[in-house]
Order: sequence, then structure tokens, then C-alpha cells
Amino acid sequence: MSWRVLRLEGVGKDFDRADGGVAQVLRDVTLTVERGSFFTLLGPSGCGKSTLLNIVAGFEGATTGGVSLDDTPVTGPGTDRTVIFQDVSNALFPWMNARENVEFGPKMARLGARARQELSEKYLRLVGLDADGGKFPFELSGGMKQRIQIARALANDPDILLMDEPFAALDAITKKHLQVEFRKIWNETGKTIFYITHDIFEALLLSTHLAVMTAGPEAGIKEIFQIDLKEPRSPSNPDFAALYSRVESLIDEEVQRMRAR
Amino acid sequence: MNPRKLLLRTLSAACALGLWWLSSGTLFNPILVPPPHKVAVNLWEMTAEGEILFHAWASLRRVIVGYAFGSVLGILTGVAVARIRIAEDMLEPPLQFVRNITPVAIIPLAVNAFGLEEPSKYFVIIYSTIIPVVFNTAAGVASTPQIRVRAAMCLGAGRWEIFARVVLPSAWPFILTGLRVALGFAFMGVVAAEMIAAESGVGYLIMQSRNMLLPEQMFSGLFLLGLIGLVTDRAFQFTIGRLMRRYMLQTAAFD
Repeated sequence: MSWRVLRLEGVGKDFDRADGGVAQVLRDVTLTVERGSFFTLLGPSGCGKSTLLNIVAGFEGATTGGVSLDDTPVTGPGTDRTVIFQDVSNALFPWMNARENVEFGPKMARLGARARQELSEKYLRLVGLDADGGKFPFELSGGMKQRIQIARALANDPDILLMDEPFAALDAITKKHLQVEFRKIWNETGKTIFYITHDIFEALLLSTHLAVMTAGPEAGIKEIFQIDLKEPRSPSNPDFAALYSRVESLIDEEVQRMRAR
Repeated sequence: MNPRKLLLRTLSAACALGLWWLSSGTLFNPILVPPPHKVAVNLWEMTAEGEILFHAWASLRRVIVGYAFGSVLGILTGVAVARIRIAEDMLEPPLQFVRNITPVAIIPLAVNAFGLEEPSKYFVIIYSTIIPVVFNTAAGVASTPQIRVRAAMCLGAGRWEIFARVVLPSAWPFILTGLRVALGFAFMGVVAAEMIAAESGVGYLIMQSRNMLLPEQMFSGLFLLGLIGLVTDRAFQFTIGRLMRRYMLQTAAFD
């Protein structure tokens, strides 16, 4: 499917509260994500980032507004958008080994055994696990499982990867390696990335575009940055440091505002 | 098995037999509670005459038929309760009510409704089997992680594929637990039914031996019951370990 932009227009989301009232989680979120970009949504926890991602994925409908690829509205989950979940133990199929997990999408697409094998080999190699295809998820570390999930998503050849804090549950060292590697993978595959994080450093390291969210409830977009830092990106670069403190102060403002309420 | 474990197990079996031997003739009337060596002789004779095999097969045959029907029916009902709103609303209340009625209590009804022949035994076994299978299946199906289903949706799985390739495999550990419990229940059900109304089977053997004042034979029946239960449970475990191993791996992933 050829499209140019992923559009979120006036997206709002209400949830029914237990006490019978209505909680407005998101309010009037308008964003444009260009094809091929690495778009990151950054915000304090509980601001509705994941809800927004679920709406883009088509798992949940928006109460107001909508999501579209160019002019085609998103009405449900589809193979053009694949989600990478943080809770990888539950996201993977534990009764399938790594290769079978990666081949799940191609199997659903009715590809033959040969074509599936080529895809799983290609993407297991891309994530550096070509020797571990026969292992089951319980035999793999958290970082390796997350690599499998990335390979599984890529083998399905989606246009957009929707990533819900994919590295947040990993230890610092694994996380750093995966961030660097994932940026390379993004470069090589040219996928559009819609990425969610609460980690400013990660956002600046990876993204081409960064949207900072306001604190919930009624969360929206506070500010959008285009990031043109010198490559390879490094926190010791003065521009990186300056942008970091700028974004940090925006987040702090929101946290303060949330506390004051 | 290491030598220490083997020694302890032999010792515990010897202690049990020793206590039995000592109590027969002291604590209990030796005519009503015979010592173990007399039972062993009887067991040997009954085996040689083919009587053991006859009754064991009679019970086993009933269990195979009833358990097979009960399992399939239980899995289907459990899936329906967990996945279909109407089925849940209509079946949940009667099931919650009926689960409190033990299989033994249902036997008189089974005899009234299905007579003294095989159908009443099948009914009791199906009834014993279906309850644990339904509730375990429903729990397993309902506890499939939501993100696993969502992941499959993103990967292009349709409704049926999500059920067959994601929900059912996720539920297998629960379903298999239910099936294992149900196997034990099936034997309890059949033995009770045979005690009340039957002309063959281990339950019949035990009850009839007591009525005819053949206590050695009664003990042989009890021994047979323990043996059949142990063997079938082990066989069940072995088969699951072979055929369903990959579905049991996830219990390790729920850390």
C-alpha cells in the first residue's frame, strides 16, 4: 500500500470510570507522521501514550477524531501496522520456537514453507539470532526475546512499526545495545516507526521527530521537534545536551502541573 | 532414583504393610480385616483365574467411553462459555449450581433415568468428567494474554486462526490440568456406580466381596483400584509429556 502520511486528527478518548463518570484520557491529538520517519511520542507515565498507540494500531477506537493513512481511515488492526509490545513474554507464542514465531505472519499470509524459511533466516540474521532459531522463548533472555519480536514484526513486512516502550523492561546494558542496533535496522529497512517512550535519552538517540505530550488526564501534544543532530548521536555533543535539557524542562513542567492538580 | 530415596520408599511401604499385619488380629477381627499375606495369595489366585482382568477391563471400558465423551463435551462447553456471551449467560448459572452435586449423589438419578445397564454408568462418568473440564477450559480460554491475541491480529491472523493458533494453545495447560483431574473423578464415579448397580467392575467386586464375606477379595479389589488409578495417571502424564510438551513450556514463561 502506498501512502505518504499517517494522520491523527483531533483524536480524543474517553473511558468509563468505575464510579460511573467519564474519564477523558486524550483530547484533540493532531499529528502527522511522514512515511519513513522515526516518530517518537514522549510523555510522563500515565499520560495516555499507550492508549494513543492502541488507537493507531486499531485495537481501540477513538471517541472523537480519527487516524488515517493519507485519506484511508484506520478501522481496525491490519498487517500494514505491527505492534512491538514491551511485555515480550506474553507477546511471543511460548509454544513456538524462535523460527516458528518469526514465520507466523508469513504463514498467515499463506506463504509456502520455502518462502517462510527464507524470511525467518533473513530476519533472524538481521537481529543477530541466526543460530538460535530452534530455541523456545523460555530459553532466551529478555533482550533476545525482544529481538525475536522485532524479527517477527519485520518478517511480516508492515509499513509501520508501532513500538510501545519496547526496551523499557530491559537492563541498562542490553537496552543500550538494542537501541543502537535498532536504529541500524530502521536505517536498513526504511520502515516508518511510531515509538513510545518516557526516556528522553532514548527519544533523542533514535528519533527524527519527537512529540512531547502534556500530562493527563485530557492529555494532548505540547510541542513537536524535528531532530537533526549530528551523527553518530552522542550525549557529549553540545546540541544533544542542549536539546536534552530543553525537553527535560518541558516534561518537568508537565509533572509539576500534574502534581499541582 | 538415588539409593537414599529408594531406601526410604521401601521402608515406608514396609512400615505400612507391617502396621496392617500387626493390626489384623489385634485391633481388627482377622476374619473381617485379613492380614496382607492372605490378601496377596487371594490376589494371585484371582489373577490366575482371570477374574482381576475381567473386572478391571469392565471398569476401564466404561471409563474410556464416558471419559472420551465427557472430555470432548467439556472442552466444547468450556470454550463456548468463555467465548460466547449467550452461552456464558445461559450455561454458567446451571453449571455453577450442578457442580455442587457430587457424582455419587447423581447415581440414583442415573439409574432411574438410564436403567441398570451401561448407559447409566456412562452418564455418571460423563457427569464426573465434564465439570472439571468445563471450568478449567473456560478459565484457560479466558486467561489468554490480550497482547498475544493482539500480536496475532497485527500479523494477519483472522478470527478462526486466532482461536485455533493462539487462544487454544494458550489454554492447553489449563485444559490438560482439568483433564487430569477429570480422569481421577471418572474412576471415582464409575466405582461408586458399580457399587450400587452393576454386575461387573472393580466397584462391584469390592461391594459384592463384602456382602459375601470374602474380605480377602475385597482387599484385592481395593488394591486393583489403586493400581489402575496410578497406571492411568502415569500413562496420561507420559502421553502429555510426549504429545503436548511444547504447550506446557509456557508455564515456565509465566515467571
